[in-house]
Amino acid sequence: MIATRKAISRRMILRGMGATVALPLLDAMIPALTAQGKTPAKGVRRLGVVYHPNGVIYDKWLPKGAGRNFELSPTLVGLEPFKDQLIVVTGLFMDVAEALGDGGGDHSRASGGYLSGVHVKKSDSVVGGGISMDQIAAKTLERETQLSSLQLQMDDNSLVGACDVGYSCAYSSTISWLTPTLPLMTENNPRVVFERLFGATDSTDPNVRAARLRQDRSILDSVMDRVKQLQRQLGAADNARVNDYLTSLRDVERRIQKTEEQSAKEVPDVARPAGIPESFDEHARLLYDLQLLAYQADVTRVITFMYGREQSPRPYPQIGVPEPHHSLTHHQNDPAKMEKCAKIQQYHLKLFADYLEKLRNTPDGDGSLLDHMIILYGGGISNSDRHTHGPLPTIVVGGGGGALKGGRHLVYPEHTPLTNLQLTLLDVLGVPTDKLGDSTGQFQELSEVGA
Amino acid sequence: MIACGSMALAATISATLAADQSTQTSTPAGSAPAAAQTPALALVRTYCVTCHNQRLKTANLMLDTVDADQVANSAEAWEKVIVKLRSRAMPPPGVSRPDNATYDSVATWLETALDRAAAAQVNPGRPGELHRLNRTEYANAIRDLFGLEIDSKAMLPADEQAHGFSTNADALSIQPALLDRYLSAAAKIARLAVGDPSIPAGFERYTALKDNSNESTWLAQSERLSEEFPLGSRGGIVARHYFPVDGEYIIKIRLDRTDTGIIRGLQWRNDIEVRLDGVRVGQLSIGGTPEFTGRQGEVGNGNYVEARSPLSNGDDRLEVRVPVKAGMRQVVATIVKPDNLVVEGLGPNAIPIWSREHLNKPDNPLIISSLLVGGPYGARVSPDSPSRKRLFLCQPARDAADQETACATKILTTLARRAYRREPTNDDVQTLVRFYQTTRMQGDFDSGIRAGVERVLLSPDFLFRIETDPAGIAPGTAYNVPDVQLASRLSFFLWSSIPDDELLDTAIRGKLHETAVLEQQVRRMLGDARARTALVQNFFEEWLQTRNVWLLTPDLTQKFPWFDDNLRVAFVREMELFLDAELKEDRSIVDLLTSDRTFLNEQLARHYGMSGVYGSHFRRVTLTDENRLGLLGKAAVLSVTSYSTRTAPTIRGKWLLENILAAPPPAPPPNVPALEETSKDGRPRSVREMLEEHRTNPTCASCHARMDPLGLSLENFDAIGQWRTIDAGAPINASGVLLDGTKVDGPVALRRALVAQKEQFVRAVADKMLTYAIGRGLDYYDAPAIRGIVRAAAADDYRWSSTILALVKSAPFRMRRAAS
Repeated sequence: MIATRKAISRRMILRGMGATVALPLLDAMIPALTAQGKTPAKGVRRLGVVYHPNGVIYDKWLPKGAGRNFELSPTLVGLEPFKDQLIVVTGLFMDVAEALGDGGGDHSRASGGYLSGVHVKKSDSVVGGGISMDQIAAKTLERETQLSSLQLQMDDNSLVGACDVGYSCAYSSTISWLTPTLPLMTENNPRVVFERLFGATDSTDPNVRAARLRQDRSILDSVMDRVKQLQRQLGAADNARVNDYLTSLRDVERRIQKTEEQSAKEVPDVARPAGIPESFDEHARLLYDLQLLAYQADVTRVITFMYGREQSPRPYPQIGVPEPHHSLTHHQNDPAKMEKCAKIQQYHLKLFADYLEKLRNTPDGDGSLLDHMIILYGGGISNSDRHTHGPLPTIVVGGGGGALKGGRHLVYPEHTPLTNLQLTLLDVLGVPTDKLGDSTGQFQELSEVGA
Repeated sequence: MIACGSMALAATISATLAADQSTQTSTPAGSAPAAAQTPALALVRTYCVTCHNQRLKTANLMLDTVDADQVANSAEAWEKVIVKLRSRAMPPPGVSRPDNATYDSVATWLETALDRAAAAQVNPGRPGELHRLNRTEYANAIRDLFGLEIDSKAMLPADEQAHGFSTNADALSIQPALLDRYLSAAAKIARLAVGDPSIPAGFERYTALKDNSNESTWLAQSERLSEEFPLGSRGGIVARHYFPVDGEYIIKIRLDRTDTGIIRGLQWRNDIEVRLDGVRVGQLSIGGTPEFTGRQGEVGNGNYVEARSPLSNGDDRLEVRVPVKAGMRQVVATIVKPDNLVVEGLGPNAIPIWSREHLNKPDNPLIISSLLVGGPYGARVSPDSPSRKRLFLCQPARDAADQETACATKILTTLARRAYRREPTNDDVQTLVRFYQTTRMQGDFDSGIRAGVERVLLSPDFLFRIETDPAGIAPGTAYNVPDVQLASRLSFFLWSSIPDDELLDTAIRGKLHETAVLEQQVRRMLGDARARTALVQNFFEEWLQTRNVWLLTPDLTQKFPWFDDNLRVAFVREMELFLDAELKEDRSIVDLLTSDRTFLNEQLARHYGMSGVYGSHFRRVTLTDENRLGLLGKAAVLSVTSYSTRTAPTIRGKWLLENILAAPPPAPPPNVPALEETSKDGRPRSVREMLEEHRTNPTCASCHARMDPLGLSLENFDAIGQWRTIDAGAPINASGVLLDGTKVDGPVALRRALVAQKEQFVRAVADKMLTYAIGRGLDYYDAPAIRGIVRAAAADDYRWSSTILALVKSAPFRMRRAAS
């Protein structure tokens, strides 16, 4: 696509004239926020999770060799430029995603418990999962940021009918859970994401924006009173819906308060996206750009992103794979189909690598954004045809603020819980936690130099 | 070991039935003579307990320990048995089974007993107390409150579903991201409703396929697309746009480009017409002039064209500036068709629309890809805008403070009454007036009202349907839902929206529960066109899963190269028009299966193998092909139950079992491998051959013997609903045997078999409709209510209005069980 960036005045940007400008949001240049001093002086650690559905062709994923001497596999070869900040972790399992008597539903269990290590409840109405690790991190990291966390996805959620038989569609359409009964919805529309990050007032006037924030806060205060009244009316029974409402009100109020405190922060000089771009490529790049912006402007420090929901049927004709993703991954060892599956995985990784490149080129504190990132990339299914839940394709990318020592392929004994890795990452983030789902401990190796 | 006694046992069962019938009238429940076996007991002893016992615990159903005497004590188990008896699903094939008469007589005996017990102790169930409005309901509520149509898909995220519907209270959660969206939606709606002269000019973008998310659109634009477009046009976009205030607005057109960014079709002159509410407001010409045609050399080898070239941004100039009065209006941008010559022989497209040839050749025809509406410029708030007329019941004299507050109070009280769907309390009103006053002090009357509107739209009383138990009620008691809550149940069921003033007034006056009044209101609501739109787009699309037509991805490269979005839109339109007509004419529910009437345009007719239908508009057609009648001949249904490369008889069979026969199959066992697509010798297999494994493996057969024959009988319809007679080189074999022994061969036979069991169908519909209407999954204790609905509907030939009325009067709809 031709990216014809004309000089756009700030007023035009915020009025949404960006509708006529070609994407991507950011060219090779990263817009510098005008006041450098506004970013944290010493880079703070951020968490990102990128999830890909429907499993992988594991032979093409697994690198050759282990420790410091390893060779990237055909699928991962696009990450070569970032090898020194890359840790491939092999041997992790999600045993909680096995049937354990519940019958079919591997896809729902894979994504439903990916960040919580919990065997999700088989139900198509009242869901039951566990608090996900990104939300555990968000509870602490949100103290400094307007948005507690962000959940993004490529697919939208308009499929009707059951997803996995007996399982609510909520399990396969998100990996973030605020509470064991509240899965967080994902957003795929770049315009909506932009507005969540930077507000939707359509006005550049700081007084107007401040007035809007004040009004929002007073509305929420008033609504909170009414909801508490309702809570009393509904009686002693613990009402999940009311609790969710109060949680949501408090979270949004916190966001508004933070925004008011940080009102001097400027909106970056980029065009507001008009909506969902027509091509997957543009769409994915745009969502990655928005993630970068969110980290850079320190609007949030916790973002999860899914390439699609589990069982996603998305075809990839742009790379020569017109078959729907999910059915293709049931390849029954047909080499032609496996080749195509691997192509999809390589494509996903290429988009990811381009994102890493931009993160590396974005200054942050005493280094780059990538230096301070902790990104978990992977999925809850290993062999896509057999729906195995281990050894899971898992990599960790980023400097972790100096706490992650990259350039290694760590191999753990099979059935080591994935949650052990996630627990370790929480520790690196500065959110030490005792236990996560089925975790049995932490890894020392991530931070240690040496084999 | 069981078979030999079956004749004798059948006799025993009918004897016990006869005996029991005579004892039923004279002996009160609880004192049946100990020696006599109930028909239920006789049946399960003979046919069921070999597997379904305490030791084996098959499917967790222990029929040796249930109360076969006072069946109401084991209602849950017996309701399961009834389902299996009515659908003939159990015992599984290969084992001795009762004859049809026994199946029915025992089922009837059980139903009678359970219905009697249910009548004595009503259990109406307990839907969620805080039931959030889904986004369709939110948008409709805004439309009814303010006369504004908002783009709900843009403003709010998609809702989760449960039990197949997005009206399920448990699935409709509230979370921070959603609250954020409600906040920005409220601010935007308030501004639109009141009209804000300082509203900043912004652009809204519309594309050709409103319901398509982000995939590329394969919409052929060589013909007039629909009735909304002028005659003599081709392609284009129609948008319903809300113009918030009087002022000037800009309408811009964006054209389709090749992958390298070159606008297609500029070698020839094209005339683009822009219309507002049917009136032409602009005619723009582009292309055919030297500035476009002189650049052919640049385009030749597909290189990127210089950014400033008219070939890559020539559509920047395509805009009209129009003065518009506030209100909801229709904007159309379309291309004038230069001639009306029809290419003989070939269809509308000579090459598949998704192909590189079609997309990337710059000299292919011009196509409009999006329409942008921007403004307002020079805004003036018109006191006559439709939404202001609805909201502003009074207009205070300028700067008369006490008049203002009184007027504001009146406006906000009426708004709260409608939005909260009940009489507002003093607290409610004072809260709103305080918001008005605070903002009024720093602004003007209008901005004060805006603040009040925002507060209303964020209130739980608006966003949720609140149903709380009456104070002091004994735990677990069933009580009649108060009129005001009943009004909401009714309006959200039939209109997917808030009650109108008449319904609300009737409820607040306490008259709604009176039978005659209730019936009159239901009929009035059904007569309103809103009911048909709401039911067709919300109930039927989710029940039949035809909304998934928007997500279909048929294999374009090999199997279905002629599939395009025009066909996709036609699938949806046919369903909409067909169902709308059924409801409007208050047909029998069974007519859904047998109707020979549908609505087609030329492309869809050809898809169905029919000739004699010309033109892109839809018209009523009487089907003469017996195979095509009813729901089972509709491409929408046939395609959402298929894969992208082939049919999926198991999916079709499951769809039929769930949605037509009220006999849903249980979940598949874990780790089922996919089907082999080629046989051992590499020859491609027909779908029937692929499914052989289902029949030869006994674990599979227990369920698949039910699903597959149903689906296989529709095998003549391919994955996008076209009729075919060959699959994998061999003639299609569409034969199967249904569980009750009926042999079927092809769709006509299948349809006859389904109609022979039409009560099962009506039961399935009632079940789905009740699930949709009360927003919770149904349970065994709802079965008597469903049977009651079916019986009441039977008296009127199962007409929709009678069925819906019976549903409204049923216990689960009218009542609620208190918390235990």
